[in-house]
Amino acid sequence: MTTPEPIPPPQGAWAKPVDRLKAAGIPASVNINVDGKQLAGPLRGFGQMWQKTYRLRLDNARVAPQQVVAAWRENFGSFWPKINRFYGSSSGIQPGEVALLDLAGPYGIRAPGDHGLVSTGVLVIYADEVSFSFMTPQGHMFGGMITFSAHEEDGAVIAQIQALIRANDPLYEIGARIGMVHKMEDEHWHTVLKNLGQHFGVASAVTQVNVLVDPRLRWSEVGNVRHNAAVHTGIYLALTPLRWAASLMRPKERT
Amino acid sequence: MTTSEFEAQVRRQEQIVIIDMQGVINSDAESGLSAAYEQAEAASSQTIVLNFSQVDYINSTGIALIVGLLARARKSHKILAVFGLSDHYREIFNITRLADFMQIYQDEASLLAA
Repeated sequence: MTTPEPIPPPQGAWAKPVDRLKAAGIPASVNINVDGKQLAGPLRGFGQMWQKTYRLRLDNARVAPQQVVAAWRENFGSFWPKINRFYGSSSGIQPGEVALLDLAGPYGIRAPGDHGLVSTGVLVIYADEVSFSFMTPQGHMFGGMITFSAHEEDGAVIAQIQALIRANDPLYEIGARIGMVHKMEDEHWHTVLKNLGQHFGVASAVTQVNVLVDPRLRWSEVGNVRHNAAVHTGIYLALTPLRWAASLMRPKERT
Repeated sequence: MTTSEFEAQVRRQEQIVIIDMQGVINSDAESGLSAAYEQAEAASSQTIVLNFSQVDYINSTGIALIVGLLARARKSHKILAVFGLSDHYREIFNITRLADFMQIYQDEASLLAA
């Protein structure tokens, strides 16, 4: 048996540390819960910590893991369910880039004007040829890190999403305990993997494994609720008529 | 620089248990790292320390493994600390917020002196 050749590590795959997020130049309708927020991640959340792994076997696709991840990075938002929107920067999924998310509520409910009920975002913390990872900001449903990857296993390429997450605050944790938040999360990533599979002409079933990593709550993080993106988005949407009325009363600029 | 497969050895040093890690920490390291951690946990020390000085590379899956270890340590009321982080790894620990939750020492000498 020969020893495998050592391979050089990827360069520039990690994002630089950021104190606060800034979503610059992204054409999203609402950016109220990202600019100025800090990264939360799985360690700063409130609820139980879960590791969820979703996998799709790309049988007979005749692609390399690198090709899968390249296509995934290039078409990331288009693989999402139609009820949720992903607004990335023009440079795509690159380390250090911020993306905005516009997410529907339970049962795919969206607000009038086709606004999502939760406006939040992610930071791309890592990206190489076979994987990329996002980390969530304060206010997101989950404090978490989610990694998208592809690798070979038993003669087939496996596309995988692995989330290490905990509900960011007590309100989200209640939603998680009654199953609503996890159901939405699971349906979302199942659809993404199915759409990725369809891109390569594969219609395999998505498998899912959940592991409860830490069952305890982090009461020191109970104050995260002040950043709750669902609450802030709800207030923003409720005040839309007032903002519209105020804009009518504002004197128009002379040209 | 090139990278090599992950290996881990566990040793006891005074009142603490150190996991010396070598190679790349990625998805392939999961079983090796988990086994080393279980061995360290069984050594009935309050503090478990990860030695990064011989680690070639860590990707985001590797960081998730470390986060998982931190959660396991918290669950069993143990302290998880690290030493031997290069500037690059310190940056990674900062961006992923691991630095907020782990005691970080420059090297083994400063760990033992603390």
